[in-house]
Amino acid sequence: MDELKLSEIREEIQKDRRAFIKNVLGGTIAGSLLMVIPAGAMEFPEQIPGMQDETGIFITRKKFAFIVDITRCIGCGSCCVADKNEYKVPEGNYRTWVERYIIDDHDNVFVDAPNGGLDGYTEPREDVPNPVRDTFFVPKLCNMCEKPSCVQVCPVGATFQTEDGFVLVDDKRCVACSYCVQACPYSVRFINPVTKTADKCTWCYHRVRKGLLPACVNVCPTHARKFGDLNDKKSEIYKIMRLPHIISVLKHGMGNKPSLHYLGLRREVV
Amino acid sequence: MQGVAETATAVAGYAFPNDFHVHWSLMIVLYPYITGIVAGAFIVSSLYHVFHIQALKPIARFSLLFALAFLACATLPLLNHLGHPERAMNMFLTPNPSSAMAGFGYIYTAYGIVLILEILFIYRETLVKLKDQASGFMKNVYGVLSMGSDNIGARALALDHKVIGFLAAIGIPMACILHGYVGFIFGGVKANSLWATPLMPVIFLLSACVSGIAGIIVTYLIIKPRAADSECIRSCIKFLWGFFILDFVFEMLEIGMHAYLSTHHWHALHELFWGPLYQSYWIYQVLIFSVIPFFILMGLSLIRFNDFIVKLFGFIASAMILFQVLLMRWNVVIGGQLMSKSEQGVVSFHPEWIAKEGIIPAIIIMVLPLIILFILSKVFPFWLPAESESSSSK
Amino acid sequence: MEPEYKSKYNAHLIKVILVLIVLGVGGIAAQALFIPSDFGEYGHYRTGAVEDEINRLVRNQTNESCLKCHPFIKKIHLGGVHKTVSCEFCHGPNADHAVDEKKIADMPVKRGKDIKTLCLRCHNKIIRARPEESIKMIAMPQHLEEKRVQTTHICNQCHHVHAPMKWVIEAKKAHGLIKEKEGLFPWMN
Repeated sequence: MDELKLSEIREEIQKDRRAFIKNVLGGTIAGSLLMVIPAGAMEFPEQIPGMQDETGIFITRKKFAFIVDITRCIGCGSCCVADKNEYKVPEGNYRTWVERYIIDDHDNVFVDAPNGGLDGYTEPREDVPNPVRDTFFVPKLCNMCEKPSCVQVCPVGATFQTEDGFVLVDDKRCVACSYCVQACPYSVRFINPVTKTADKCTWCYHRVRKGLLPACVNVCPTHARKFGDLNDKKSEIYKIMRLPHIISVLKHGMGNKPSLHYLGLRREVV
Repeated sequence: MQGVAETATAVAGYAFPNDFHVHWSLMIVLYPYITGIVAGAFIVSSLYHVFHIQALKPIARFSLLFALAFLACATLPLLNHLGHPERAMNMFLTPNPSSAMAGFGYIYTAYGIVLILEILFIYRETLVKLKDQASGFMKNVYGVLSMGSDNIGARALALDHKVIGFLAAIGIPMACILHGYVGFIFGGVKANSLWATPLMPVIFLLSACVSGIAGIIVTYLIIKPRAADSECIRSCIKFLWGFFILDFVFEMLEIGMHAYLSTHHWHALHELFWGPLYQSYWIYQVLIFSVIPFFILMGLSLIRFNDFIVKLFGFIASAMILFQVLLMRWNVVIGGQLMSKSEQGVVSFHPEWIAKEGIIPAIIIMVLPLIILFILSKVFPFWLPAESESSSSK
Repeated sequence: MEPEYKSKYNAHLIKVILVLIVLGVGGIAAQALFIPSDFGEYGHYRTGAVEDEINRLVRNQTNESCLKCHPFIKKIHLGGVHKTVSCEFCHGPNADHAVDEKKIADMPVKRGKDIKTLCLRCHNKIIRARPEESIKMIAMPQHLEEKRVQTTHICNQCHHVHAPMKWVIEAKKAHGLIKEKEGLFPWMN
């Protein structure tokens, strides 16, 4: 597989650049992307096709969505580890976490997320009295709402929605009043004890803008976390959203219109 | 926890991992408590200045200064709470029009200006006379406070009277906005089923009136235990009972309505009210500090006891109601955060004595207005035998 | 009748109004002075905040970034079923290890019991919430008993951490249990 000739790869790209990159990401062609991009031309390989052409202040040609496939998540916590490393998230605060759901045959729901799943799940849950009907992991992160409550309530304009749909925090203006933390229906926000400002998952905006996938998507070994462009008809995201899957969002009734979608979401998940 | 938020402990069920922090702790309990006292005290003064309830005349001036002393401290708990208090001015610089909190800076400032001006205009005649008697530094102080005019002729006083009427009239809606708005800050949080009710501003407003009147009764009786005007106390008690009926009934209606509707919100609220809030809500707020003063006030309002009984039990009931309102603030502010947004878990929280937002700083912040009130009493005479000649009355 | 006063009857009111006007004008001037110049260009926020976020340091990189300098590991890692596993999950973020392809610090390499803990994060069967079809699951110590090895064995005594079946396949080939060219997992080729 490594022995793929450089010329062959170039030919492959000529045929279909996006399909090629997808194959690389999917592991079909497990070659190094850096082989095809001249050294020094770009700092990072372009995991999201076309992103490195987006040089304006905002992303203009893409509409990003995040899909979590809970039928694939194994609860290993790789995503949590990557996230903590990417942002040096202080102890006891979580930009992302993984919940373990256990539903017994009496419809009792048991949920836990010790240390947000950061240390993985090493023990089975012992306090479930009845036979288990259904059990699964649910990764959680910023829902990147189209109508974000946090932006609505921020008194000083320190948390905002960019024109490309990302909700970000300006840590130079945030006064840390915590109103956004109270307003977020998904509890993804916290006050960072180091910077003493509001903090939350940004879907790794800084990585996405450089053409990289969010850190958690990049490390997920089972491809349970998916990130991509809804305008790109060849992206996996686009295809999933058009198939008759069970796709849902969290707390639909809040009216926040999340851009984070769940594939195979059970009704018990809050 | 060295961070901005304080740490709660798990009680039952599953709480989201970020929900083990109580971001709004004692300081945010005190903030609506203090602004409520401000708004309530102002309304006592307005009952005399605008609605001409003559019995309240002895405390009409005092209640304005009482309001000012607390207003001066209303921002302290907020500044102590902020992670970046040095950026507090961002509230004035770039207030976000869609944020319920952003108006606070402007509403607070506008209300502060109205309150200070009303005090200065009401006191102007007195201040001019005091300036003549004073010497040295105090002469300068009175010079500034009398707004640089020594004219207390009939025409000037008539003008003052018009201004006072105007300020008192706009002051009432502003006091209501100041505090109804605090209720709106909480009521507007849709993610929190305890807070998100249109009744929240109403309950905040009514409890503000209640705490203001109770605060005035308590301090009046502490400052002048014997000389306090008993007719004034009797009317205060009647107003206190009236507002408290509304306040308490609305509080009970809110929880009753939630229980009757029995939506998924109620399942979370039920866990809260019968879990970590059971003692502080049912036992303290409702049973002890609402029901008992309710019946004391009812007795004092309906039966004519002698002055000593009225003052003694009026004091006890008012002090209990002051505590009831503090408990209500606690149960709303802290209680709302003890319910995880997972809707399947609650946490519990106990404040620390010595912490940035602990009990000691809370006590200091509550004592500070009383010190300010004492300083104000050295400048503005609270009680004037000559008040009847003042043009502020009619 | 009226005593003489130095001030006019409305002098104080005019002064108060003037003070309020000065305060208002001062406030507007302060706003102009202190609001960042790039505030409000696209919405109620500072445009510079978007740039700040874009310029945040990328700490986790890609497997490609790592394997570029580690050709030997690359050959093994990409040849096995662990090729989708992130280097940085086990070893930590690349930013702590290399800057501009120059090493600045050693990466932690897990050994002994830590390896077992790490492997079981994904492969532990007793965590029942895992979907069965996605990856191979084992229960400890039953797996060791089944394979007839001591129960004190650590995973990497049989499995290469970068290509778990590498040694197993090689052993099977050496014993002629499987043909050359054919892996244990044909669908991986």
